Amino acid sequence: MTRALENPSRRRLLAAAGSLTMVFTIGPAWSQDETPLNKGKLPGSLEKEPWLDAWIRIDADNRVTVFTGKAELGQGIKTALLQVAAEELQVAPGRITLVTADTARTPNEGYTAGSHSMQDSGTALRHAAAQMRTVLAGLAARRFGIGAPAMTSRDGVFQAPDGRRATYGELLAGQQLHLKVDPSLPVRAPAGHTIAGKALQRVDIPAKVTGGPAYVQDLRLPGMVHGRVVRPPTPGARLLEVDMAAVARLPGVLKVVRDGRFLAVIADGEYRAVKAAAALARVARWDLPPTLPADTRPAPMVRAWPAKSNPILERGVPGSAGRSFTASYTKPFQLHASIGPSCAVAQLVKGQFTVWTHSQGVYPLRDALAELLGVDKAAIRCIHTEGSGCYGHNAADDVAADAVLLARAWPGKPVRVQWMREDEHGWEPFGPAMLTGVRATLDGAGKIVDWQYDVWSPPHNTRPGKAGNLLAATHLDKPFKPDTPTPSPQPEGSGDRNAIPYYVLPNARVVHQFQDTIPLRSSALRSLGAYCNVFSIESFMDELAQAAGVDPLAFRMRNLADPRAVEVVRTAAKKFGWDGYRKTPRRGRGFAFARYKNLAAFCAIALEVEVARETGMVRITRAVAAVDCGEVVNPDGVRNQIEGGIIQSASWTLLERVRFDERQILTRDWAQYPILRFNQVPERIEVDLIDRPGQPFLGTGEASQGPTAAAIANAIADACGLRLRDLPLDRARLRAGR
Amino acid sequence: MDRATRTRTPKRRTRLIVLALIVVSALIGWIIMWRPAIDAQATLPAFDQASIARGQRLAAIGTCAACHTVDPSRPYAGGRALATPFGTVHSTNITPDARTGIGQWSEAAFTRAMREGVSRDGHLLYPAFPYDHYTHLAQDEIRSLYAYFMTRPALDAPAQKNDMTFPFGLRPLVAFWNILYLKRDPWQPSAGQSAEWNRGAYLSDNLAHCTACHTPRTRLGGTDFKRHLDGGEAEGWYVPALNEHNPSPIPWTREHLAEYLRTGIAPDHAVAGGPMQATVENLRLADPADVEAIATYIHSYLAKAPQRQTRAGMPGSLPVPAADDPDLARMQLGHAVYANSCARCHEVGREATSGAALPLQKAVALYDPDPRSLIHIVRDGISPPDGEPARWMPAFGAILSDDQTGALAAYLRRYGAGQPQWTHIEDAVKKARQP
Amino acid sequence: MTTYHLRVNGRDHAVDTDPDTPLLYVLRNDLGLNGAKFGCGLGQCGACTVTLGGESVMSCLVPVSVVGERPVGTVEGLGTAQAPGALQQAFIAEQAAQCGYCIAGMMMRAQSLLEKNPKPSDAEIRKHMMPNLCRCGTHMRILRAVRRAADALPAKGAKA
Repeated sequence: MTRALENPSRRRLLAAAGSLTMVFTIGPAWSQDETPLNKGKLPGSLEKEPWLDAWIRIDADNRVTVFTGKAELGQGIKTALLQVAAEELQVAPGRITLVTADTARTPNEGYTAGSHSMQDSGTALRHAAAQMRTVLAGLAARRFGIGAPAMTSRDGVFQAPDGRRATYGELLAGQQLHLKVDPSLPVRAPAGHTIAGKALQRVDIPAKVTGGPAYVQDLRLPGMVHGRVVRPPTPGARLLEVDMAAVARLPGVLKVVRDGRFLAVIADGEYRAVKAAAALARVARWDLPPTLPADTRPAPMVRAWPAKSNPILERGVPGSAGRSFTASYTKPFQLHASIGPSCAVAQLVKGQFTVWTHSQGVYPLRDALAELLGVDKAAIRCIHTEGSGCYGHNAADDVAADAVLLARAWPGKPVRVQWMREDEHGWEPFGPAMLTGVRATLDGAGKIVDWQYDVWSPPHNTRPGKAGNLLAATHLDKPFKPDTPTPSPQPEGSGDRNAIPYYVLPNARVVHQFQDTIPLRSSALRSLGAYCNVFSIESFMDELAQAAGVDPLAFRMRNLADPRAVEVVRTAAKKFGWDGYRKTPRRGRGFAFARYKNLAAFCAIALEVEVARETGMVRITRAVAAVDCGEVVNPDGVRNQIEGGIIQSASWTLLERVRFDERQILTRDWAQYPILRFNQVPERIEVDLIDRPGQPFLGTGEASQGPTAAAIANAIADACGLRLRDLPLDRARLRAGR
Repeated sequence: MDRATRTRTPKRRTRLIVLALIVVSALIGWIIMWRPAIDAQATLPAFDQASIARGQRLAAIGTCAACHTVDPSRPYAGGRALATPFGTVHSTNITPDARTGIGQWSEAAFTRAMREGVSRDGHLLYPAFPYDHYTHLAQDEIRSLYAYFMTRPALDAPAQKNDMTFPFGLRPLVAFWNILYLKRDPWQPSAGQSAEWNRGAYLSDNLAHCTACHTPRTRLGGTDFKRHLDGGEAEGWYVPALNEHNPSPIPWTREHLAEYLRTGIAPDHAVAGGPMQATVENLRLADPADVEAIATYIHSYLAKAPQRQTRAGMPGSLPVPAADDPDLARMQLGHAVYANSCARCHEVGREATSGAALPLQKAVALYDPDPRSLIHIVRDGISPPDGEPARWMPAFGAILSDDQTGALAAYLRRYGAGQPQWTHIEDAVKKARQP
Repeated sequence: MTTYHLRVNGRDHAVDTDPDTPLLYVLRNDLGLNGAKFGCGLGQCGACTVTLGGESVMSCLVPVSVVGERPVGTVEGLGTAQAPGALQQAFIAEQAAQCGYCIAGMMMRAQSLLEKNPKPSDAEIRKHMMPNLCRCGTHMRILRAVRRAADALPAKGAKA
């Protein structure tokens, strides 16, 4: 266990509780399919944190505290986890306080990413809460001297038939259950669920609509001062000279900091810090060598970067006879573009750093900051405090590094660092540019008898862990070097996520061309490689279907074996009205399907677009999504995520591209990097959830991005005959027709 | 006839003559005003791709979409309200919809509309549609435009009601306007000018109809041919003169003008704003060689503007008002507005972010003969077309009061441009609030 | 530093600050109000939207020195978590938020529409909301929430 125990001298109820765990043995109830990856391991995050009292504690006054190492990113995970715990504990959700990612208080669940939260934390909490209730029931039964089935319970209180009552808190009497969680204990049957799987309003929304403090940006601590960093004007810039003295004399400026080409100001007021930073930028002189690609067209640019060939699928025999087709698809660099630029507060008091951060991984961040500062990990506490949606590895960790550096320069007081919009657009780790190439052979009957797919991709994971992955660390006088990224293995993958189609392909080869070094920083953007790979594969499936003279849906169904996949495809088609669709001028329909990572949620999307070639305008008139994510804990949360994913992906697909020249990033604000506005949001979106009670939770946060992109491309092709393979499908491209 | 009868005849004769004159005038007027309908065309002819492609490029030069496209999802469906001194006109649907567009128009009907401003059914079009410029187009160009428009997707969009000031709404009266201002004599190139200049002149004066805005109009709304490119007004904006009276504080080079026409921006010059924005959006889709030709032609007039010493060359912040300024209170208010609202962006100089913008001493709006364009820019901002990247100046209309806006304009005129003060700034601010 | 007298959500405040300080920072840092948020500081995203004299404005663009006597309205003036106003109730009922960062700005953008036009069409709502960005893709719910709030208003309109 890595976290500091708050109460090391707990009494252990091991013996008493242990004797009770034998009572209930209704078969194994592992909450995830056993796969070669997790065979023999505890389910979910229990493998990393098996102790029950790390997850749930109940005070003597019957207040329940649930701990999760996951973080609320706006995906509603706090509410969903609350529902899981409340369901198994059989208490009202309002009785529970949920503590999220804090290196001093919660389990280490790594990153909140990859749509793992329900699978990791939800699973662990489900078992921990189930066990806790079992233990409590046993304690109550013993206290009442009756059999457990004779008791009733309601919201944390057991009651005997004669009216005697005992609260959970009274039963534990201030002790905590230092037991290893036993996942073989039964969990509540989904048919009897009253909290999980039901609509529950999100616990964080009321504060957000009434101006209550909700974000790290809202933190106000006593004596807090404000920092702003002046970033170099270009990625390759070298600082020649800077007159710091003039800036130090500006009103409110407390300190001007320089370490190498890391430049910052600390001021007593926020806007004064903003102005001082602008003044500091004006007096800095830089050398600006060209360090970025001269040719920014994605295909030649990506192809030019060195790649290591990494085969991830080799099945059957190549070279079958038939008609062969090839295609190549590209995606540009794209931004997370969080609405609230990244922010962190850090304070150094008596050698202890406290950092309030919206990082997706407080534990890895802590390790990186410790290396950056040259201090012990124990000297740093990272507390997750919600930021605006991050959609992956944005600048949250970078700003935390800025904050600790400035806290070290101004010890004692909390230092708040807020990135400006230009900082976020210019310096966040980008979603990488990618290139795919596919070749497939159809036999006389229109079946796919050969499949060859290559995906060239820069890194999708340069998250800290290592200090060199923090932006400021690379600008210091003694800079840290970024880690050399390695590809994540399948089935998760990184650039090769979803590069293996979910279709049945008897002869197939898939190669991940991993590119570990490129002139720009790239990292995880929601769905990682899945967005480009599903775009490519599902566009190509349509192209093949057309070549085979078959309806695109029928073509896919021929090659899908998994009945759950078949059902989402059928459901989406039915709800869209695919079979009865009447094509009208300027409009067309498109379809796409994927199972995220080939092991998470299933998502099929059918949509209709209206295309105006003269202006290049594409409008989505309606979109229908069918989703299977196993057992649904919070249906509304899933719908929100899928709908949001469709709209976000529509924005990436129709509009978004980071532009740069040889020296600098050109897309520094919303004017230069437009995203979807209300006028272009689809007219209607419908999400159908196929609930599968008892099936493992499957992550949904990233399931709709890839299929949306392909469905749009396919619909445009249907609407006006234009088959576009290079993202974004923006107005200029629609006007030009290529 | 007896003597008594003969003494009453002169009065009656006068009445008869007057009546005859009225009838004859009405007859002549009717002959002038009436146009026959041209038969509806039931089926579309075939068009070849080359003609259509050419028509597309010509339509870009003609900036047809600037008036006829309101919603980018519905190109050429019309419905744009154009405020004129004679009332508000709405553009019509020029997609080939049979019922609400030009779907039943033959090439002859299309040509007559382009050259004479007459609709297929014979009613006269208001000269807000610049047929008095298109009238000089070569027939093969009209044919290509016809091919392009008749092959656009048909959209259902009925014409909207116009709101004209009496009597200017009476369409037959336009016939008299045409007598005065519709010059049908063929366009002639200028001997002694290059082929590119002449191509630019042909495009600019006719298809691109630059003079429709950039040349002043008479009281009756016709082009004042004697004052070619001497400036004008459009939709409440001042339209700059492009001749020796051009207000730009920094002289235009031909290259920068061409860049501006294609992209809406050139170094050291303000971005295209107001009605010019739509023009640039269209020109960027035109044949680049044609845009270069227009630049060559227009620049030959711009180059006549004398070199002036202006504040544009003076770097740095705009100054604090002089203590002896006769209008000190207003100047101090204007300076405060400038320093607190504008300087944050406009004193940085133009960089990639819109938060670093052109220093205002270089902004042409400050040098215009009246403050209308400046006031519109401040109130409405300049924003990119939907979903397309460009620079963005935010709108301050709801942020600054009328007093603050007027004071800002006055301050910028004196301390930004160093030019003689504008009159009637407050009236212009009030007028800009009206839709 | 100058003292400015502001009327925010119906209450008077005296604030000592520099004249060029944007209203956004005054609301957040001097008055402790969280609703208006920093999104871009350029007037392009609307996260900072408040009402000024009944009009929706980007508070990041409003220097405190131009506000004068015009009343400022923020989301805190619409209601509290314990007693949410009609617009807030609509957003809660529709669960119209994912990360929620844009939502206060969305509400103050919608507020000026509902005060002027209590029965807007769906197209009018969409058009009115355009200056505000949402990156999570909560647009459909935001539109439904504004629709819901409008439907709940009496025809003559009232402050939500």
